[in-house]
Amino acid sequence: MAAITVENASRSFGGVQAVAGVSITLPAGAVTALVGPNGAGKTTLFNLITGNLRADSGDIRLDGAPILGLRPWQIARRGVARSFQDLRLFTHMTVRENVLAATETGSWFWQPGGRAARATREARVEKALERTGLARLAEERAIDLAYAERKFLSVARILAAEAEVWLLDEPTSGLDLASRRHFSGILREAAQQGKAICLIEHNLDVVVELADRIAFLDQGRVLAEGEPQAILRNPELAAIYFGDRPQAVEATP
Amino acid sequence: MIAYLANLATIVAIFGILASTLNVAIGHAGIFSVAHAVFFGLGAYAGAQTAMLLVPDPLLALLVAALIAGGLSLCLALPALRVRGEYFVAASLGLQMVATTLFSELKPLTGGIGGLVGIPRPELFGVTITALPLALATLALILLATHLLARGSFGRTLRAIRDAESAAEALGKHVAVAKTLAVAFACAGAGMAGALFAFHMAFVNVESFTLDQSVLVMAMVIVGGTGTLWGPLLGAALLLALPAGLSFLPFIPPTEVGAVQQILYGLAMTLLMIFRPAGLVGDLGRGKVAH
Repeated sequence: MAAITVENASRSFGGVQAVAGVSITLPAGAVTALVGPNGAGKTTLFNLITGNLRADSGDIRLDGAPILGLRPWQIARRGVARSFQDLRLFTHMTVRENVLAATETGSWFWQPGGRAARATREARVEKALERTGLARLAEERAIDLAYAERKFLSVARILAAEAEVWLLDEPTSGLDLASRRHFSGILREAAQQGKAICLIEHNLDVVVELADRIAFLDQGRVLAEGEPQAILRNPELAAIYFGDRPQAVEATP
Repeated sequence: MIAYLANLATIVAIFGILASTLNVAIGHAGIFSVAHAVFFGLGAYAGAQTAMLLVPDPLLALLVAALIAGGLSLCLALPALRVRGEYFVAASLGLQMVATTLFSELKPLTGGIGGLVGIPRPELFGVTITALPLALATLALILLATHLLARGSFGRTLRAIRDAESAAEALGKHVAVAKTLAVAFACAGAGMAGALFAFHMAFVNVESFTLDQSVLVMAMVIVGGTGTLWGPLLGAALLLALPAGLSFLPFIPPTEVGAVQQILYGLAMTLLMIFRPAGLVGDLGRGKVAH
């Protein structure tokens, strides 16, 4: 089942067509990797799905329901979570507060549900901290964490939010091998639990290790979509990725 | 001497309310308003008019002042939803300038430059009282409210928005609602401080609600420690006690107290920002605000 369906979405900035008629599905229970050179439109596509940018045309649906035109907080409350390339942690809050804040979507003076709901939220926080190895750092401030720990905190927020769709922008960049394996394990586990996971990733080892499917983007278009090995073995795509662009590459449906 | 100290305590309590409520905007929500005196003024005029035209019931005056200042806080919330950082500072500066002019010109409501005189003393249940117990009780309520607000989910939401607004929104936070509520709370509190000020002084005019006053309240928050519970109150006490203390020093001529005070203010602010950037109550070790 496709959790996210993007149909023919386009977005331009002035004369630059950042996303040009992209159609893509992000199925539940699978890890999809968006691959492509810088400027291919990967992060813009994330921004369209999360409502940070509005598509000029096209349609975007979550479990069949249209989400185009909704505000980012409305889309988030429907179960779409994202991480950012620059992490955007709540730097002066503790690790626990960062994760707890992710479970509190009410923006008024109080949260609905009373003490029982609070206990449930706190249990989700503890579980996310344990799974990401951050429990021992729970009272540290985000700003004081090491880089890898910050990466794990960004995914701990999504874990605790219990989002159904995870959009992760370069989640493993800068991680050592052990941390990367730990991170990959969390993502695989989430996919097995039925989450739709989509990551923008430049490390092709990570892509091969983690992704069930790849969508190759270039100049705002999806050039190819399919099994990782098949996509990565395509010499024309490899040439684009490594900067040796051929004159014309046919888009495959 | 007792009357002098009671006067100083009342003023410290009133400015403690102002600084504590501004701290909600600055310290928690990251909204750097230089227009807090506008809402202080609105509350003062509303409280004074309530007492002069209706009854000098301080509870009614506080309520009216809070409602008017809180309601008109939308004038501040709207730019806060559109711009951040230095752009918002400029927008709030504009609001302060507009309000100061209106306070001077709207004579039927504010008395113009001459202000409102003859504000009756507050009467609670038929008994005439001073503003001191009212100010202390209101300060205690404001401190309790800010403490509860800061440690609860709303405080986390505000601090999340302050640290990374787009990430907060991506986690489902309704930024507009949270910012509007924070500004309304801060401005309603400033309005209550204004009503207390009107009762205490029995006279209000525009000179108490200018940009200088807004900057002074902001300095109280920064000196004490943004984002802390007790810092703004400590900042208010220090910055108000300083001129009082200087006036007792025999080697400073009374005519020079003002100039010496300005020099000391400037020096103290500079040294504080170098050695304790998080303020007196802020976390020293990390140079960051404590929550």
